[in-house]
Amino acid sequence: MRRITEHPILTFEQGRKITFTFDGKTIEGREGDTIASALQAAGIRVYRESIEMHRPRGFFCAIGRCANCSMIVDGVPNTKVCVTRLREGVVVETQRGRGGVRRD
Amino acid sequence: MKKKTDVVIIGGGVIGTSIAYSLAKNGVTDVVLVERDTLSCGATGRCAGGIRQQWSEPSNVRLARASIEIFKNFREEMGRDIGLVEGGYLLCAHAEEEAERFRETVAMQRKVGADVRIVTPEEMRDIAPCLNTDGMILGAYCPDDCHADPFQVTQGYAENARRLGVDIELHTEVTEIRKKGKRVAAVVTNGGKIECNWVVNAAGGHSAEVGAMAGVDLPTKSYRHQIAVTEPIRRIQEPLIVDFYVNIYFCQTAHGSFMMGYGDEAEKPGHNVRGTWQFLEEISRRLTGLVPALKDISVVRQWAGLYNMSPDAQPILGRVSDEVENFICAVGFSGHGFMLAPITGVLMAELITYGETRTLPIDELSIKRFEGGVKSAEANVV
Amino acid sequence: MAMINTEILVIGGGPAGLCAAAEAAEHGAKVLLVDDKDVLGGQLIKQTHRFFGSRQQYAGVRGIDIAKILIENAREFGVELTTGATATAIYGDGVVAAATDDGFLKVRPEKIIAATGAYENMLAFPNSDLPGVYGAGAVQTLMNVNGVAPGNRVLMIGAGNIGLIVAYQLLQAGIGVAAVIEITDRVGGYYVHANKIRRLGVPILLRHTVKYAWGGEGVEGAAIARVDERYRPIPGTERDLAVDTICLSVGLTPLTELLWNAGCGMKYIAQLGGHVAWHDENMRTSREDIYVAGDASGIEEASSAMIEGKVAGLNAAYALKRDIGLSKKNYEGCLEDYREQLCQLRRGPFGEKARRGKSALMGAPIPADRPIKSTPVPDEEFQKGARVVIECEQNIPCDPCEATCPHGAITVGEDMVNYPLLDAGKCNACGICVASCPGLALFVLNRDYSQTETEIILPYEFIPVPNKGDRVDACDREGNVVCRARVSRAVKSKKFDRTALVSLVVEDRYADVVRSFRISGIVPETGRIEKPDMSRVDEMDTIICVCEDVTRRRIEEAIDRDGAQSMDEIKRLLRCGMGPCQGKTCQRLIMQILAKKLNRNIEEFKPQTYRGPMKPVSLGLLAKADDEEEN
Repeated sequence: MRRITEHPILTFEQGRKITFTFDGKTIEGREGDTIASALQAAGIRVYRESIEMHRPRGFFCAIGRCANCSMIVDGVPNTKVCVTRLREGVVVETQRGRGGVRRD
Repeated sequence: MKKKTDVVIIGGGVIGTSIAYSLAKNGVTDVVLVERDTLSCGATGRCAGGIRQQWSEPSNVRLARASIEIFKNFREEMGRDIGLVEGGYLLCAHAEEEAERFRETVAMQRKVGADVRIVTPEEMRDIAPCLNTDGMILGAYCPDDCHADPFQVTQGYAENARRLGVDIELHTEVTEIRKKGKRVAAVVTNGGKIECNWVVNAAGGHSAEVGAMAGVDLPTKSYRHQIAVTEPIRRIQEPLIVDFYVNIYFCQTAHGSFMMGYGDEAEKPGHNVRGTWQFLEEISRRLTGLVPALKDISVVRQWAGLYNMSPDAQPILGRVSDEVENFICAVGFSGHGFMLAPITGVLMAELITYGETRTLPIDELSIKRFEGGVKSAEANVV
Repeated sequence: MAMINTEILVIGGGPAGLCAAAEAAEHGAKVLLVDDKDVLGGQLIKQTHRFFGSRQQYAGVRGIDIAKILIENAREFGVELTTGATATAIYGDGVVAAATDDGFLKVRPEKIIAATGAYENMLAFPNSDLPGVYGAGAVQTLMNVNGVAPGNRVLMIGAGNIGLIVAYQLLQAGIGVAAVIEITDRVGGYYVHANKIRRLGVPILLRHTVKYAWGGEGVEGAAIARVDERYRPIPGTERDLAVDTICLSVGLTPLTELLWNAGCGMKYIAQLGGHVAWHDENMRTSREDIYVAGDASGIEEASSAMIEGKVAGLNAAYALKRDIGLSKKNYEGCLEDYREQLCQLRRGPFGEKARRGKSALMGAPIPADRPIKSTPVPDEEFQKGARVVIECEQNIPCDPCEATCPHGAITVGEDMVNYPLLDAGKCNACGICVASCPGLALFVLNRDYSQTETEIILPYEFIPVPNKGDRVDACDREGNVVCRARVSRAVKSKKFDRTALVSLVVEDRYADVVRSFRISGIVPETGRIEKPDMSRVDEMDTIICVCEDVTRRRIEEAIDRDGAQSMDEIKRLLRCGMGPCQGKTCQRLIMQILAKKLNRNIEEFKPQTYRGPMKPVSLGLLAKADDEEEN
């Protein structure tokens, strides 16, 4: 996957770089990204494993409806990353099956 | 639909299907169960599925104990997984007065044979590590208690009843009960008339209306009771927890969702089952107070069902009037019908098959107990 | 969070909601609009193409720019706009709850306008749950909002307008489109949209379906096949495509959960996309305090949604208890105007669905369509000189060509669905209309360019734009390279709004053949196919409910063995619809399975009982709420 840098109709401002971690790896996104779009741009397609059959799942509806892209974000499970803005330093993890609670 | 049958059961909830199955098991297979909508569409499908022995009235403890045995063998007997979580029930006491009452009821429950014990706040945290025990004096814990999925239980009863020959007629609403002298002669539905020897009222939230059709004035009233459920998460809690002081009960289902509710004193009798935003906010405050770790977990649905309350919060079982000899009621379960359903099925089937109950006596639960007013009411209703 | 009192609450900030809110506010009502996204505009913010319709609905303007206009309008009239607020339920006491990042909002409005839009239909096939199978809307968001390519090579399923438009947009973003497949025997969208992608070499395969996808951690390929008249794949017609993305564009369903929840009367109308709230001509539902507009009231184009929004906004404002100063005369004047506009947009063959659907819903007779003028046959005169050729094949409600021609050479007339007529004498081949046509269906042919050559002016929305003197591969309407051509001119002008006009010089015999070109050297990639053994793929293993991992087999068993006959019963037995998506993905599929297995019509099945909150809301957020009143 890649970012679209040139487009006949649209101009994409290549916003400020935002670094975050995905399953411990440091990844770079851009200002204006959702977590999902930043992952997608980095070529990461599997966001979670389904709850019963543990099948790979990812982005699907992009509008926060289908819950296919539920991930663990800063310890919070079931976060729909397609509608979650990317923040500097956010910790994103693949959700395997059901999520757990954060124990502070 | 049959035009003539031995027994008509009104209501396709867990009580009605349990009775149907038990009758068929006793060899009474000429049975028609009528349900105005679909199986478990009423209170059964709207309850949290708790199964406990910790009641203040000995008769409730006995019934519950007998039911639990059946629930635990359900899968083997019925061939259906009912999502049974054998995680016990933990009741929390905050005030000394409440603690004292717990000590007394636990003593009574133990006498009846239930494996219940008083636990310290520290033990409570061992049992439910996410529970905030601040302000709690003690708990009452019964590891034998459990909770299960009401849909699967009802489906299990229904499919086994069908297998044994019972007819289950869905989308069939009773419009009239015809009598002949001191007996019910037929049940009229939107799908036709069924002549019968017995009618069983297992109509849950609508028990009084069905009673009225048979000319019986049942002292049951329905009250809205709301519940909310979260998305599923990994197991963090085994027991179903009841806190009378905060006024809440909650459990984590086999599937992983948290299910929670509370009784609202301000509810007026009626059939309103719409949820309110006030409940949603209030239950969230109460639950996150007791289990702070759940604050990030989301509620996915809220709904309401009906508690069919009897004057003493205990069921009314058996014949209800000398004016209609063959009209049997299993009503007024007061919010604990699901857990009492297995034994209720057995007892009502015995009553019809043998003319008397054999497993347990039900005299204490006869409608006659209200003659002269309520003597002793169940206190552990939430 | 505090209780907010308002006169009118508009739920949804897409074209319908924004227009409804602006209309009501313009007439003096106090209006609050809530939208679940953090950017207003609904689907408009992804639409890079020019819109059809009339000038009043900004025909010829790109969707992304229409969004800006509508938002500005609403703001100007004093609408309070709240983004990031998802309406979660309409409660019995009239309170509408909405979840925001900061709390649980409660609004007590006098009137509600539900402009909640639609959601995309799912198509289930083996491995349709793999990452890389995306909704067309999702692809648009990723590509046009976030600027991220969804993949490298895409299979588009569905040749309705959305499928065709998104396929074109993929190409614009430099992403390959292997094919557009369509299960019926006709292109459902505008032919001009189909032509736009065909001439770029993308095949549109009618009577084709996807059999299954394969891949480990994401889509690596798809098998497609021809179907028979009952839409079953024909053995032996299977073909493998190397694609990393499968884009689903198989229709939309009105998003009506809140309306069900509020107890509005609902009716299944196939032409409108499923269950919709019954409403009258004033967009009022069976509840006198609730109005609907846009896709939530039946799937249609954005232009109709805007006018429906205005109708709803006008009526809600007029029905307020407080006298807002909207006179009866003014109200009736506006209403008549909007109704006429709606009537215009619903004319012609593409308006038929809406005409039939809305009539069925309201129980009214289907309004007779006025006769449509037929396409003009080019005369002798037409074959000479320099002038525009109009390849507008269908009666689409649209008029930008007429609107932009500075010489008055094109006439559509009062009926927007008519074909544009060219007065050849007035056309001086300036090319302005070429750049304005939303369907890119106008071309200028100068047959007198030289003795043997014709110059063709083509609209071009790709990069890079070739330069004068460049040599390119000229293509026919199917995208086949037919000859080499010389670029005689390339105009990029601000007034053409990002559409370049590229003039090609070809031999005269190609004048009526060439309609597109490819910059030499750029050959669509075909991709190598590496396919695992898929001989044991079983349609029964298809995941229907993705939240709970429920397969088609289990659903069929619940019907056959457990006697389930409704969505609610399947939900109770298998949990379909109980997951976080609340059935948005699986419900339609399950109703189709129920209908097929029980041999009944899909309209006989009710969706599950909808219960709030319609979107998961965290316990922490709900617990934060307090109950102060606020005005």
